[in-house]
Amino acid sequence: MARYRFPSIPESAVTPRELFRQRRRFLKRGTALSAAAMLPGGLLLSDTARAWRASLSERLDGELPRRELAGNETLTPRDDATSYNNFYELGTRKSDPEVYAHKLVTDPWSLTIDGEVDKPGTLAFEDVLSRESLEERIYRLRCVEAWSMVIPWIGFPLADLLKRHAPTSRARYVQFESILDPDNLRGQRSSILDWPYREALRIDEAMHPLTLMAVGMYGEVMPNQNGAPIRLVVPWKYGFKSIKSVVRITLTEERPVSSWVAQNPEEYGFFANVNPEKDHPRWSQARERRIGERGKRETLMFNGYADEVAELYAGMDLQQHL
Amino acid sequence: MLTPAGRILVFRLLVLAAGSLPALWLAWQWWWGDLGVVPEETVVHATGRMGLILLLATIAFSPAFRLTGWVGIMIARRQIGLWAFAWLVAHMLAWMGLEQYWDWRWIRHDMVDLPYVRYGVAALLLLVPLALTSFRRAQQAMGYRAWHWLHRLVYVAAALGVVHFWMLTRADYRLPTLAAAILAGLLLFRLVDAAIHRR
Repeated sequence: MARYRFPSIPESAVTPRELFRQRRRFLKRGTALSAAAMLPGGLLLSDTARAWRASLSERLDGELPRRELAGNETLTPRDDATSYNNFYELGTRKSDPEVYAHKLVTDPWSLTIDGEVDKPGTLAFEDVLSRESLEERIYRLRCVEAWSMVIPWIGFPLADLLKRHAPTSRARYVQFESILDPDNLRGQRSSILDWPYREALRIDEAMHPLTLMAVGMYGEVMPNQNGAPIRLVVPWKYGFKSIKSVVRITLTEERPVSSWVAQNPEEYGFFANVNPEKDHPRWSQARERRIGERGKRETLMFNGYADEVAELYAGMDLQQHL
Repeated sequence: MLTPAGRILVFRLLVLAAGSLPALWLAWQWWWGDLGVVPEETVVHATGRMGLILLLATIAFSPAFRLTGWVGIMIARRQIGLWAFAWLVAHMLAWMGLEQYWDWRWIRHDMVDLPYVRYGVAALLLLVPLALTSFRRAQQAMGYRAWHWLHRLVYVAAALGVVHFWMLTRADYRLPTLAAAILAGLLLFRLVDAAIHRR
């Protein structure tokens, strides 16, 4: 049976990006004014929340440097990228994270950087943002479940953030921890994973220029279901490494145990580099379903970023080191 | 009130509805684009779940008859069993067409190499002789004892189906656990019932 297909839009009917942004700025000013008029004390959001959301939104409306790092591959439709998600804190079905997105409380938000750094600290999210210059990066995203997307992220290199806190000579790994809030996050009320979600990178992986801390996508503030307000994006690794809604970054000497490694070390390795030649014990990793396309694509070594990252693993047996 | 024959007819219509309406619902949602971001995946999952549910329901018909003694249940048992089989055949075809896009090299590869696919295929193969001998004439030709013995394979097929479901699950094992618990309960009832009646 044929799927209903929306009629294609002629190029001439597409609103130019600049005009679209102008209109949006105009509308936003209008909404902000009327909202301010209606909410004397800020009934819905705290002051700090308004601070980071509004100022980030404003920065995203301006021109950002853009780097296209997914060849000429078509962007995944935004609606697909925001309604087909693995974010077990909000439920295990692909549609759950969008449905329960409002349960993720992101206002206020703070980020702690500690462990093997000379300058540890806990910062309000708006202070993290104000230090960094943002850019847009188009990356492939390959899930360990053999599906993939192409997403325009907005963020800054993790290396920029780490350098500000001066890692010590003993810092060999970087551990990330996600929000723990079982009262609101339904997934955390069952023990499907060892909460809070934890991930980790080797320090050279963390400092690699491709490794991004993302705060937005598709030109907008990060939607909750995609890991608001700040998430990791490591494009050459399976998606589960790209931890969402990060609250703590800890530099360590010992290799940390991430949540999926704890759940099943044979199936989910520490490195979890995209590798079409190393199958998951239960399914093949040779191909992937690109969301929005019919048929399957061949999976690329390191998700197509071998030229940039293969040297990180020189001399390592990629069949052994998952 | 309904006559005994009327009640049996109503029950058979209910079984018909249980077997067929979900397919219409699935087709309706597909048509209107309501099957989510990857409708292919939704159809593969939905047909498999429906097949397993109906297979467990088929197995539940015998204990239900034991408990109620109502003959209508035994009359509709073949009907629901064949619906279960039809859904599982649809599940395999959906997997071949919507997951593998009829790429026979990969269909063969996954059937040989992936344990969870092997268990699923084995379950379906075991059900083929049951579907073929589900008719009265086959039952008479085989003799009741042999027929009965053969049709106990439904337990093996259901167990393989639960294992298949278990193996393809990631992290959240609530549904496969539920399926396993239901099957275990049905099996236990069967064994206890047999032990009591042997005495």
